[in-house]
Amino acid sequence: MIDFGRVQKELQECSRDMAASGIKVSPKSDNLARLVGTIPGPIGTPYEGGTFQIDISLPDGYPFEPPKMQFATKVWHPNISSQSGAICLDILKDQWSPALTLKTALLSVQALLSAPEPDDPQDAVVAQQYIREHQTFLGTARYWTESFAKASSLGVEEKVQRLVEMGFAEAHVRSALEAVGGDENLALEKLCSG
Amino acid sequence: METGDEINICSDNEVNDYYGEDANNTDCNYDSLIKEEDSLDSDSDSPVAKKRPRLEGPPDRNYKVLKQSDIRERQEKTIAEVAMVLSVSKAVATVLLRHYNWSAGKVHEAWFSDEDRVRKNLGLLPIIEFPLDSTEVKCGICFDLFPTRDEIVSAACGHPYCVECFRGYIRTSINDGPGCLMLRCPDLSCSAVVDQDMVNSLVSEEEKQKYSTYLYRSYVEENKKIKWCPGPGCEHAIEFDDNQGWDVTCACDFSFCWNCVEDAHRPVDCETVANWMAKNDDESETKTWILAQTKPCPKCAKPIEKNEGCMHMTCHSPCRYQFCWICLGDWHNHINCNGYKEDKRKEVEDAKRHVQKYNHYYERWAAHNLSRLKAVSDLGRVQTEQIEQLSEIHGKTQIELGFIAEAWQQIVECRRVLKWTYAYGYYLPEAEDAKKQLFEFLQGEAEAGLERLHGYAEKEVRQFLNADERSVNFEGFELKLKSLTGVTKKYFEKLVRALENGLSEVQEAGKSYMEEHCISYFEICELPN
Repeated sequence: MIDFGRVQKELQECSRDMAASGIKVSPKSDNLARLVGTIPGPIGTPYEGGTFQIDISLPDGYPFEPPKMQFATKVWHPNISSQSGAICLDILKDQWSPALTLKTALLSVQALLSAPEPDDPQDAVVAQQYIREHQTFLGTARYWTESFAKASSLGVEEKVQRLVEMGFAEAHVRSALEAVGGDENLALEKLCSG
Repeated sequence: METGDEINICSDNEVNDYYGEDANNTDCNYDSLIKEEDSLDSDSDSPVAKKRPRLEGPPDRNYKVLKQSDIRERQEKTIAEVAMVLSVSKAVATVLLRHYNWSAGKVHEAWFSDEDRVRKNLGLLPIIEFPLDSTEVKCGICFDLFPTRDEIVSAACGHPYCVECFRGYIRTSINDGPGCLMLRCPDLSCSAVVDQDMVNSLVSEEEKQKYSTYLYRSYVEENKKIKWCPGPGCEHAIEFDDNQGWDVTCACDFSFCWNCVEDAHRPVDCETVANWMAKNDDESETKTWILAQTKPCPKCAKPIEKNEGCMHMTCHSPCRYQFCWICLGDWHNHINCNGYKEDKRKEVEDAKRHVQKYNHYYERWAAHNLSRLKAVSDLGRVQTEQIEQLSEIHGKTQIELGFIAEAWQQIVECRRVLKWTYAYGYYLPEAEDAKKQLFEFLQGEAEAGLERLHGYAEKEVRQFLNADERSVNFEGFELKLKSLTGVTKKYFEKLVRALENGLSEVQEAGKSYMEEHCISYFEICELPN
């Protein structure tokens, strides 16, 4: 059975220093077995400025068995599936220890965003791109952050639509937006110059 | 030092080392063995051996069969010895031994050269007591506060966890598998070991048992000199001493190669066997498809699948050869190939020939394998039913009838050898014609001898199983079966020896070897009917 006493203590502890860590965990339903974690994209990475949501589900053996974590926000990263959001991280598998918590696990996930390990990929396509065409990788990762991890900013679809209305072809608009990391003005410049 | 008293149960283990110590003796010593047995048997005036004339394995055989009790005894002895020499607990000795593959010698060497380093690497830390002045202790897993230390446990590092949480931690690890043998403090930055004493103090009987089973298994699995017998349902292990021939036979009668754990395959080497087995796996599924759907590129011979409509084919780079799919001719000077030309293309023929060659060897390898399995079950039937029936009808003791089981054991062993000679034959370079001839000659003789023995043992015995036929010549049958067994054995010894020498006789004597050394099979078999 899940030790809910511990989960509650974890939630309290987490909300206490949310300001410092930026990491938030909140229950999805009222039984505490399903939660949502939120981590900010690390500064200085293509994920900067994004807010990433992670679905957490606690197995019966928690905290002796690791929590199951999966990105709910789409993210372009060698160790995270671009399709399913599955995360390849040792502490969520055999290296888990009951002395770890949801917060420390989410901190590790955040650290993974800063330091991808393309040699142990979850998503082979992304990992290949990371190794062979690093600039393209950075562009795509930024574009995905822009499109999916920034709820507050304008959605990409709206930008696309506005640029298309200016008379550019949709395919060109999308590739220009992707190349400049989702910035509408830079994309417009690029479209006008090219 | 490294191993305790060695329990050798070779004597109850009736293993035939068929091509063992008598390998240099070109005369078959079958007869001399019977005579030896006879002379021991002073009551008997019959020429028939009362004891089963079998070749026992040499006393200094290079492997030992270990029963469960032997393994436990050795393990306990080694642990006790290390604990005593190092003045540590048995649980700590166990941690050390596991790390050094159960070699007491290596433990001593490492420990006495740098104890501190060993302790640090293995997490065998000096015990740190948690400060007593703190009023409340927080469990590192459930985060509850505990007013006294009574409910708190720690490894040597002193990281505090409550009894319930630590128990849950150990229990989860035990249920996860043998990884529990390497359990450390739950704190990720801490390497303090959780040893068997601590495990036993916290978990249930059932879990202790599980832990101890993993520990028992690790003695074999992490030991570089011991391997489990892969025989179905067998729980013995085999300890191997040196590498003079890898084939071993367990007390359960299962024979295997200690090196690659494939079925015993002497005289063929492990590499050939591995190639052959891998080839068999590949061939069966893929080959059929490739043959049906592809053609080899006429230049580089890589199989090419035609996946578009036109006949203009271009091979993959780096080859890039362009050719016509239908006639396999060069595309650059291709005009048409609709006319019929009786032109057997070498490349196509080569590919076909290769498949035919493989099929030839595979078919025989598989047939002898099946025949061997059948012989194994027949041997069982002979030993349980047939000998009993014959004993009743013909008034002979079961020991007197041992020669029949002996013949069947020889058949089983010969089928095994013969099977592997077909893997050997497949890989024998085609260019070495003289070797190939010698090989096929020896293999042919051995096979013919075996077929005769197998057929005789299988069919001839039937007439004696009928109670009305007491008058028929049973002594004649016995004599002939014994002789056939001996002759067949001799042929196989010769074959095995030749293959183990890499057919080197060929270089020395050329083709005349066959004339000089190989007496005609039928000469030897001129025996009474």
